[in-house]
Amino acid sequence: MIAQEQKPMEEILGFLDGKKNVVVVGCGGCATFYHTGDKKAVDEMAEKLEKEGKGVTKISMPLGMSACDTEKIAIFLQKKRNEVENCDAILLMSCGDGVQVAADYVDEEMGLAKNVYPANDALGLVGGGPTKFHETCQSCGMCELGKTAGICPLTACGKGLMNGPCGGVRVDDKCEIDPEKDCAWVKIYKRMEKLGELDKFEEMRAPHEWSKMKRPRLFELKDPMGMMDMMGAMMNYNTVSGYMSMMFAKKPEEQKEEKKE
Amino acid sequence: MPEEIYSQMMKELSEGKYVFTGELEPKKAGNVNEPIAAARDLIGLVTACNVTDNPQSFAYVNSMAASYKIQAETGMECVYQLRCSDRNRMALLSDVLGAGTLGLKNILALAGDHVALGDTPDAMSVFDLDSTTLIYMIRKIVDEGKDLAGNEIEDPPKLHVGGAAAPGAAYLKAEVAKVKRKINVGVEFLQTQVVYYTDILDKFFDELGKVDVPILVGIFPAKSYGAAKFFDEYVAGVDVPPEYLANLKKTKEVKDKEERKAEVDRVNIEFFTDFLEYLKGTPSAGCHMMAVGYPRIIGPLKKVME
Repeated sequence: MIAQEQKPMEEILGFLDGKKNVVVVGCGGCATFYHTGDKKAVDEMAEKLEKEGKGVTKISMPLGMSACDTEKIAIFLQKKRNEVENCDAILLMSCGDGVQVAADYVDEEMGLAKNVYPANDALGLVGGGPTKFHETCQSCGMCELGKTAGICPLTACGKGLMNGPCGGVRVDDKCEIDPEKDCAWVKIYKRMEKLGELDKFEEMRAPHEWSKMKRPRLFELKDPMGMMDMMGAMMNYNTVSGYMSMMFAKKPEEQKEEKKE
Repeated sequence: MPEEIYSQMMKELSEGKYVFTGELEPKKAGNVNEPIAAARDLIGLVTACNVTDNPQSFAYVNSMAASYKIQAETGMECVYQLRCSDRNRMALLSDVLGAGTLGLKNILALAGDHVALGDTPDAMSVFDLDSTTLIYMIRKIVDEGKDLAGNEIEDPPKLHVGGAAAPGAAYLKAEVAKVKRKINVGVEFLQTQVVYYTDILDKFFDELGKVDVPILVGIFPAKSYGAAKFFDEYVAGVDVPPEYLANLKKTKEVKDKEERKAEVDRVNIEFFTDFLEYLKGTPSAGCHMMAVGYPRIIGPLKKVME
């Protein structure tokens, strides 16, 4: 998921300085998960902007409807076409993908010249949860995880070294740049040790092929997921029942206790 | 040991001489007068001098330009330090070819500190290569006359490549494995980060085992309490012994400048005499004396090894 946080209100108000009518658009994807673009966030933003004397139109997108998906955001923008046409600015409560997909759609498909501003700062592709997340993948186009015991040094090492560790590992195996962060290469060493693959640690990993990351990258999906496919995936019996049984399953320690009894 | 020898330092190392190297630091300035003067002071005391490349990520005069000027004007052989922090593989290749063109014969290939630790923290750190892949690239250039992409290099430079080792690394097993990795790709000499404790060095040599690559052990006789304190606080992987620090701190009480200098020298000679005596019994091939701005200490310390 793309982690994100809301920009300081002063910055947002700076964008909207002199704009009277604003359309605030949420996002049902990552921004809903991180509470930066869910319905509540949209309502709160609208309230703050109204207090500043602005006329606000709210567009909330339900879970699963992401602002970065042109087909989905098109539905919601078209529903409020009049308000979009008459607004002075659009504020997107999503990551930068959503902002740009919306801006392109408004410009090229709706034929309107409107400023589309970001309400959030995207903080990277992260894994983990429920409360603590860490950046794990930078979508570099040439996955190195098969050579590094499943830990990406390009992302997890502060220097992005393919052949670490550097000489700056702290006594508690933390990174020299930031004592809050683990040294990725000590983690890789320990995991390779557990896997009995330390011989791989001593091998040189070739320099990363950055040629796979020529920006902007374009990607074509031959068999796109339509609305019906999406409904089908959501209603899939196995998925739903599997998810439900997982949610209500007893935790391993509870199962152990039951066995003891 | 390399089959072909291009530099005086490698010649002496291959002959089994105990080699001393010094360290020169270009500044944030439009000249290299200070390191040139320091190099003159070190002639006859050390075989070669490292010329630092943006140490601790403070941006100074380019180390290739400084190495060339120092070598040309003083005759001191330079170990040109080159770090991956600020250059991608193309710039590194250009610099290696440039160094060869300017007659530099030794390169110390380093990853380098992250720019966040230095005086230009908003810069983008590069690290397109790391120390191991830089060593690999330099060997490929020198030995095969090819760059990393396999492009031919006409009249490839003739120079040696060294690497760093950190005996005081917090997670020694991984550090030693990395040093072995550098040896696997053809590093020709190693210089260690500063070490003050004999048990740290013993552990490092034990863990590393017997290797064919000459290792120069780094020491840092500090010219003042402040310099030692800075090393202790800001240089990763180095712990300065508290009693040595305390003895240096006491020298601040001496009012007369000349007497104070003599007292600092006495503290260093006392501490490092024991350390150098110990070094004689280790597999080290030399000593890298990082006495930046403190050349007068090198003579007396060298005497210990004679």
